[in-house]
Amino acid sequence: MRKYILKRLVYLVVVFFIVSLLMYCLYNLIPSDPARDQLEAMKSTLTPQAYQEMYQELRQQMGLDDPIVVRYARWMGLIPGLKGKFDGLLEGNFGYSQYFKKPVIDVVGPPMQTTIFINIFATILALGITIPLGIYCAVHKGGKIDNFTQVFTIIGYSIPVYIIALVFIFVFAVLLRWFPVSGMNTPGANYTGFRAFLDRLYYMALPLIVMTFGSLGGMTRYVRAAMIDALSMDHIKTARAKGVKEKTVIYSHAWRNALLPVITLIISWFLGIFSGSVIIENTFNINGMGSLYIKGLNNHDYELALAIQMFYTIVSLVGALIMDLSYGLVDPRVHVDK
Amino acid sequence: MSENKRKGKHLLLGQLFRNRNREVDLMIEEQIQSPGRMMLDNFLHNRLGMIGLIGFLAIFLFVTIAPHFVPIDLGQSDATQTNIPPTTSMMKLPDGLKNNVQAIAPGPTFGVGCDKDGNIYTWGYTKITDKIDIKNIPDKVKDSKIVDVAAGYDHIVALDEDNDIYVWGNTRLGQDRIPTELKTGRHGRPDIIQIEAGYQMSGAVTADGRAYFWGNSNMTDIDVKKDLQGHIKKIAIATYNYICLLDDGSVAYGGLQKTNAFTNIPANLKSGVVDIAASGDTMAAVTEDGKITVWGNITHHENEIPEFDSKPVEIYGGRYHYTALMENGDVISWGGNDHNQATVPDSVNTTDIETVYAGFYQNYAVTKTGSVETWGLKGHPLGTDDLGRDILTRIIHGGKTTMTVGAIAEIISIIIGVVLGALAGYFGGKTDLIIMRISEIIGGLPFLPFALLLSAIIGTRIDVQLRMYLIMVVLGLLSWTGICRLIRAQILAEREKEFVIAAQAMGVKEHTIIFKHILPNVMSILLVQATLGFATCMLTESSLSYLGFGITPPTPTWGNMLTGANNSIVIQQYWWRWVFPASIFGICTICINLMGDAIRDAVDPKSLGR
Repeated sequence: MRKYILKRLVYLVVVFFIVSLLMYCLYNLIPSDPARDQLEAMKSTLTPQAYQEMYQELRQQMGLDDPIVVRYARWMGLIPGLKGKFDGLLEGNFGYSQYFKKPVIDVVGPPMQTTIFINIFATILALGITIPLGIYCAVHKGGKIDNFTQVFTIIGYSIPVYIIALVFIFVFAVLLRWFPVSGMNTPGANYTGFRAFLDRLYYMALPLIVMTFGSLGGMTRYVRAAMIDALSMDHIKTARAKGVKEKTVIYSHAWRNALLPVITLIISWFLGIFSGSVIIENTFNINGMGSLYIKGLNNHDYELALAIQMFYTIVSLVGALIMDLSYGLVDPRVHVDK
Repeated sequence: MSENKRKGKHLLLGQLFRNRNREVDLMIEEQIQSPGRMMLDNFLHNRLGMIGLIGFLAIFLFVTIAPHFVPIDLGQSDATQTNIPPTTSMMKLPDGLKNNVQAIAPGPTFGVGCDKDGNIYTWGYTKITDKIDIKNIPDKVKDSKIVDVAAGYDHIVALDEDNDIYVWGNTRLGQDRIPTELKTGRHGRPDIIQIEAGYQMSGAVTADGRAYFWGNSNMTDIDVKKDLQGHIKKIAIATYNYICLLDDGSVAYGGLQKTNAFTNIPANLKSGVVDIAASGDTMAAVTEDGKITVWGNITHHENEIPEFDSKPVEIYGGRYHYTALMENGDVISWGGNDHNQATVPDSVNTTDIETVYAGFYQNYAVTKTGSVETWGLKGHPLGTDDLGRDILTRIIHGGKTTMTVGAIAEIISIIIGVVLGALAGYFGGKTDLIIMRISEIIGGLPFLPFALLLSAIIGTRIDVQLRMYLIMVVLGLLSWTGICRLIRAQILAEREKEFVIAAQAMGVKEHTIIFKHILPNVMSILLVQATLGFATCMLTESSLSYLGFGITPPTPTWGNMLTGANNSIVIQQYWWRWVFPASIFGICTICINLMGDAIRDAVDPKSLGR
């Protein structure tokens, strides 16, 4: 097992470097010129010749004319930077945000908290609903509730999440006025402690409901399918024939077997909503990683966008690793180290 | 035999929906069917699947056929038609006005008219802002006997039999500041022979040949040259300027601006002018010899006057079109025709027309018998957006774009996925390893941020069409991994079967084995994946467009029509701007998914009930 984890970790590191190089190259494809941006303010005060000279000098200083691999290594912190120090991603320097005029690390703090908060909360909510519902539907296959759920879930996973968001805003925020339309907290109110948490929750409620609702469809169907497969196995018949209690059959014999595909789903879904919350954050004007990412792209703040992109990449790579390892934990029959 | 067939069908139906435990005749159960036949039967007997298929086909045909009948002008934006709710009543005359018309004045989205008994009516979409509604006619107006009306962009002017002028609607910019000369006059209250209204201003002509204008003079040229006063017979108001017809039969520019598009009056209008009219940006005049002259900023073919054989006697101007009444009672229209306002229906020219009231996009022709014929803009069945574009037109063309992008992206991803999956599965070893690692990396990347990045790289400075193709390629390049894995797994299973070994032994070329012998066996699964993937691609495209990173306006897609809908004003007050695109898109993806599920159930009976 330890050998396997080690192997996966090495693989993860290799993939991380490949992906980050790919991303770095892609970001360099976006037409932009930081040297020119920096000089733009002084342009009117300089003669064209002096401007050209300063521009070339600045390019040299910023290392813009070096080969892309060298720049990548510098950005990553694999070789010494221009000031002769190792100063890159690996050393904790995520770059400088041109838009916020602050180091990226200072910009992404609160949004990252928000994004992680809403994603974990939505995951817990969704799992709390889908797993019992999926199991119930599988056990009572063909019943009224099952049929209704089947139709309902198709609707749930077919409709894009921002349309669900629009409908929910209309019903709950505009018609019923239960929740605010958008935003993060009550403007002007400086709550502290528990009161601030409640206020945050009040504003986050609608986005969370929408995220949960949007994922009900696909997940319920998946849990149900996994559970039906598990219930049709021979050992379930044996257990029933032996007179094991139905509850034990379902929750101990069948559910353990259904758990493996469900775990795959949970993790890949968790990764999916991490990047999918871009839409939710944008729709509800939540200051999260997703809306920050879009802001970065829209304002040509590519160092910021690249840093956030790396965040997403790391989340998905670590997620994949956890997914692999969890197989062995959940199902002793799976020998992951082979 | 036929008995058996019927029972067989019944069995199939029963198997699909209920009675799965009913005992059946062994002979029927064992009846042999070809797999293709069975799939088709299974599919046709799946109720939900058929609903999906029919729904999808209906929407598909709608968005492929309708664009040919409803052309779209991508550059269109119309300040007079913004945020209008669904209505088709812009030309629907109230009952009281039928056969009893004294005067009609068409406004941008509404109409106002008075009957011969002096009652006033409004119809169409009369709301100007939240608070101002043209429909709220002041009581003074209701009590007096109105003889003439005029409609501006957001206000209405009415004249009663005692030469009192009333203004209502938007009066914040001095639209109701009626000059005192019109109220008292130097020689008593003057008789008013004409009232007109334009953009935030109005004008009136008195019987003694004087013209008066009032309203917002910041943008409009509404002063009157002193030497013209006393000779003015008629005025015609364009959006910001006016011309007048003088008593010597000539046309003059009345305002004080030295040069603009209208001041240079054509030479043949020095005398003998019978009638004048103005569209939004042009002026027109009819002379005694039956010639029509148009000048100004020609933008909508206003100067392309059709051939006519009678002699025009009166001319009327809309926003971008003109309508002329002939001596013999015929009517011709020309100019901007985007709302059919320049297409005179045949029924008009079979009857004798007494007079015509034209304005903005509407025409009302009163026949000699008193009935009213209309043509032009009825309204917008699904409303308009913030730039005054018709939602229905944009839904039709947006659907075409969304489906095209989704389909082509899906085709690209299928091609990549099938080729790579087949190679990986058949050759195994290093090829397999490399392809699967690539697919793992791409599949593992966070999809939406990556798509956003690629879209940002494409940039918005390139040609709209090219950008659309590149978006398709991006979507295709990012979504092939699922199909690749599926095909690989299928091929791995098929590869070991006897017929492949036989083919290899016979010396069949490898690519022939892959693509001709093995692939047909995985075709059905591919079909399922393609259907479900099509819906996914449409969803992705629309999500990107919704965020502003996909297809960018003015090209409509179902996604970018919803951009900016996430604020409470649009959601509540302009509900038609998001409800209609969202509903048709939702229905469309639901139908595709129902269809995909049904195909999967039909292809793979084991999956039934999952």
